[in-house]
Amino acid sequence: MDNTQKYNEAFVHVFGAQADDLNDEYGKDTVQEWDSVHQLSLVAELEEAFDIMLDPEDIMELTSYKNGKELLKKYDIEL
Amino acid sequence: MILNLDKWPEDAVAAIDWQGEQLTYGELRDFAVKTEHLMPSRSLFFLLVENNVGGIAWTIGNICAGNVPLILNAHMDEELYKSLHELYRPPFVCVPTGMADKYPYETVATSYGYTLMKTGCEACQMNDELSHLLPTSGSTGSPKLVRHKYDNIEAAALNISTFFELTEVDRPLMVLPLYYTMGLSMVFSHLYVGATVLITNLSMTDRRFWAFMKEQHATSFTGVPYSYEILNLMRFFRMDLPDLTLLTQGGGKMPRELNLKFAEWCRNTGRRWIATYGQSECTARMAWLPSKWAVEKVGSIGIAVPNGELSLIDMEGNPITTPGVEGEMCYRGKNVTMGYASNREDLLLGDERNGFIRTGDLAYFDEDGCYYIVGRMGRFLKLFGMRVGLDECENKIKSKFPGIECACTGTDDKMLVYLTDESYKDKVKDELVARLKLVASSIEVHIINEIPKNDTGKILYTRLADK
Repeated sequence: MDNTQKYNEAFVHVFGAQADDLNDEYGKDTVQEWDSVHQLSLVAELEEAFDIMLDPEDIMELTSYKNGKELLKKYDIEL
Repeated sequence: MILNLDKWPEDAVAAIDWQGEQLTYGELRDFAVKTEHLMPSRSLFFLLVENNVGGIAWTIGNICAGNVPLILNAHMDEELYKSLHELYRPPFVCVPTGMADKYPYETVATSYGYTLMKTGCEACQMNDELSHLLPTSGSTGSPKLVRHKYDNIEAAALNISTFFELTEVDRPLMVLPLYYTMGLSMVFSHLYVGATVLITNLSMTDRRFWAFMKEQHATSFTGVPYSYEILNLMRFFRMDLPDLTLLTQGGGKMPRELNLKFAEWCRNTGRRWIATYGQSECTARMAWLPSKWAVEKVGSIGIAVPNGELSLIDMEGNPITTPGVEGEMCYRGKNVTMGYASNREDLLLGDERNGFIRTGDLAYFDEDGCYYIVGRMGRFLKLFGMRVGLDECENKIKSKFPGIECACTGTDDKMLVYLTDESYKDKVKDELVARLKLVASSIEVHIINEIPKNDTGKILYTRLADK
């Protein structure tokens, strides 16, 4: 599985999203269920999938599909 | 005045929210007087709240004024709202002003960011003791309501403020919703001692949440197990929060390791960690584990709250007096509510419990009289601290997909949904995620050949796992 698939998989697990739904518009403002429960679940999925540990600041920033990709760059993960 | 509200100085602050709104005790008292004239006396109304100062003003002000609110989530499921509206036909509804144009009603008044509207439904006859109504279930939001009386409010406020040793200098951070029994009981118990409630609807993953907590010098935090999982994931133990001296937990059993982590951190940093147990049927808290036992007896719900009494009964209903023997836990106290309502006529009913309730939880106690919950006798799960009614989930699935065969069961970690038709697998999961706003991974769908049932068609839940 490549990094993009792994990344998408996390959203599928947390939101029950279909891979086709995922794009840069996908986030806190457009997804009704996106609350802290989902955000933290997403953090846990990403930390496990990429073997990283996010800082509190990063956790607060993880509010969209797009932001998540940016955050991963900080941890040298390219999608 | 209810909750001793008249005891505090005019300018003492009762509540502050993160948007900067503030409510003094004087303003709250004035608002209580004003609301008396907005509706005919003893009016039933739906109060759709957000966690803000206005939510507190409208809730407490109206309870003081003798009106009876059904307190609901302003962002609740529309279908559920409709069914509640049809069942209870409230003469008035009050919603955040920004949402008022969604309702086709005549506006009566606008205050503290909320708009009161007249629905045209006729006045509702209610029992004189009835103070307010709450839904029984956090997320599935059953139309079944808990009927509270004025004595419950006073008892809960007294009991809770006593064991937490609350005073007017306390500044509790309130993240739990106002329409949730534990959130509301925080308001009752803190107003009762003249404290200042710091209320917010911000997500704990939002940086403004942390800014609010620090700038307002929160002295205590109350959460459900998942709140503490969030704090843990947010690297809470590394944060500098010198004002915070009390952490309290309720709303379901916390994972042992996490409980211990917070209990030890509190002990090592000179803070109090108090785990509690309660139900909305008893105006929230019924038991508490004194902080001196927080580490030693981790996982225990502790002892009854002041003025309350816990006991155990065996299968035949006889009292259990020996430590270590399991039985159904019962509670006696003035915070036990009057009973449920399933329709408008039920609001006339009096107290059906007389201060005593069987909790539906299986428990035992140790040599010190501290109770430990073993499991639930009823059909409820606590997913992320929100009570989920399994029967209601089944009903939701069945009404969305007529003819479907399904059975819901599970643990507080995961809900298991059993279906017989593979083609509904994703649809059912999506429906539950959308309606309950749960994390998809907390729901697991299994396909089996048939749902095991007895002769009268009742599902045999214990045999589901065998299939």
